[in-house]
Amino acid sequence: MNIAFTDPHLMKSPRSLRSLFQHSFVLTKRSVLGRLRQPAIIAPSFIFPLFFAALGSASFHKLAEDPYFTKNIAASFLNYAIAGAVLQGVLFASTSAAADLAIDIEQGFFERLLASPISRTSIVLGRLAGSMVVAMFQVTIFLMIFIAAGARIKSGPFGFLGLVIGGALLSLAMSAIMAGLAIKSGSSEVVQSTFPLLFVLMFLSSAFFPRHYMSGWYRTVADWNPISHIVEGFQGFINQELDFSQFAKAWLLPLAVAIVSIFFALRSLSKRLAAS
Amino acid sequence: MSSSPISSSIETGLHAAQPMDVIKVLVQRSMMRVRRMPSAFIPSLIMPVFQLIAFSGAFGFAVTSLGIKNALDWYVPLNAIQGASFGAVGVSFGLINDMQTGFFDRILLAPTRRWVMVAAPLAAAIVRCIVPVAFVIIVGFLGGMNTPGGLLTLVCLAISAIGIGLVSCAFALGLTFRLQNLGAATLTQFGIFFTIFLSTSQVPISAMTGWLRSVARINPMTNVLRLARQGFLGDVTWEGSWGGLLAIAVLVLLSCWYAMTGIKKFDQ
Repeated sequence: MNIAFTDPHLMKSPRSLRSLFQHSFVLTKRSVLGRLRQPAIIAPSFIFPLFFAALGSASFHKLAEDPYFTKNIAASFLNYAIAGAVLQGVLFASTSAAADLAIDIEQGFFERLLASPISRTSIVLGRLAGSMVVAMFQVTIFLMIFIAAGARIKSGPFGFLGLVIGGALLSLAMSAIMAGLAIKSGSSEVVQSTFPLLFVLMFLSSAFFPRHYMSGWYRTVADWNPISHIVEGFQGFINQELDFSQFAKAWLLPLAVAIVSIFFALRSLSKRLAAS
Repeated sequence: MSSSPISSSIETGLHAAQPMDVIKVLVQRSMMRVRRMPSAFIPSLIMPVFQLIAFSGAFGFAVTSLGIKNALDWYVPLNAIQGASFGAVGVSFGLINDMQTGFFDRILLAPTRRWVMVAAPLAAAIVRCIVPVAFVIIVGFLGGMNTPGGLLTLVCLAISAIGIGLVSCAFALGLTFRLQNLGAATLTQFGIFFTIFLSTSQVPISAMTGWLRSVARINPMTNVLRLARQGFLGDVTWEGSWGGLLAIAVLVLLSCWYAMTGIKKFDQ
């Protein structure tokens, strides 16, 4: 796929902001199509979160008999499980998106991009934007499945939209961290091997069970884990009326992580460029 | 591989070797692979322990609110069985490697019975699954799990874990002989994962609702988990044991039949 040469328009001014957007758009399209054309890779990010949510709601439904749970957390365990499923799906998808970038490096496509008159930044931004688009698509499908299964979003369409945007921002943050690692290491194996770490972070949070019912050191870890706060922001969109704290947790926290991690990814890129 | 002492001992000594000798040599070879490639075995050791900590920490309230003294009493048997099955499936990764390098074809040319080619990986699987089970039990004891059933608690757990390890390994072998690629081991892992979680893995049947309750009722893993857990929750009784023992026996027979028909297909 020779992006720069197939579209002469892109070759006019590679350094301009306009060309940055154009190049990023083309690479975003490539990234999204690449994901959609590999159903075997994208399927686990749908199957496992939905399976765990279904399992949780069938196993822990008695929690909804606790007045504290229904008053302060969620109307049902299915409603509670939505945010965990979204988080899990986005983390799965972000890891495999970054692994795709590492595969580009391993297979030499990255070098061909560098040899073409294309904005360097768009190589990273295109991948990150692609990841965000896939996340928005994924969260929308998840929510439609959950609503069909009986879940209700208390804050209505705004909560729906809030969660879709929150999912996209989280995807941006995680993809940027993983893209930085992919560029730094140039190995898809390294990127994939970080997934167990994300898995640990996810379990040591309130993604699958409310913090209120945890105790001891596990509760302390969950309290400090930023994933707990992000997922509780997501839960707020579904189970409570809209308020600022949900936006702060579900949007601003991932956005802050995204800013730092994009900086890390671009820095990794410039180091790789300097080395080559 | 031709200069390997094990492969040469198989090639030169098989005409005189008894099946048990061949099985012993192949088990030793499998253990040597674990020693030389610990990175392939360590995840099956760490993951059950991590899951034990994660499940008992996150879902502890859900089981203790049902009258279970310590969440570890509920989750140690689950994670021991899970660790055993994933450890045992690791044997099929070795088999795929042997198929890709041509070593397995050479073993097949040797004058040995076909059932030995299934029995040897199964024996190796038993050895491999003991380690994660022991690791989970040690962590459980350190965490303060209860064993009111006494020594029989550990016997029931060992039977359940090794039984499911054997089933997992035999099923993985059957699938590997048919597919001859890494997808066989991955598919087996998916199968084990879903079978375990669609049973009483998280909570007892009485606490379940809807579709999961119906699935868990007919899932043989529910009986196996009952066998494994009974000593942690109370006394070990025949009533709590026979269902699990029967389930393990039937599953072992079926999966071994699947592995044997698989190697016949591979031969053809």
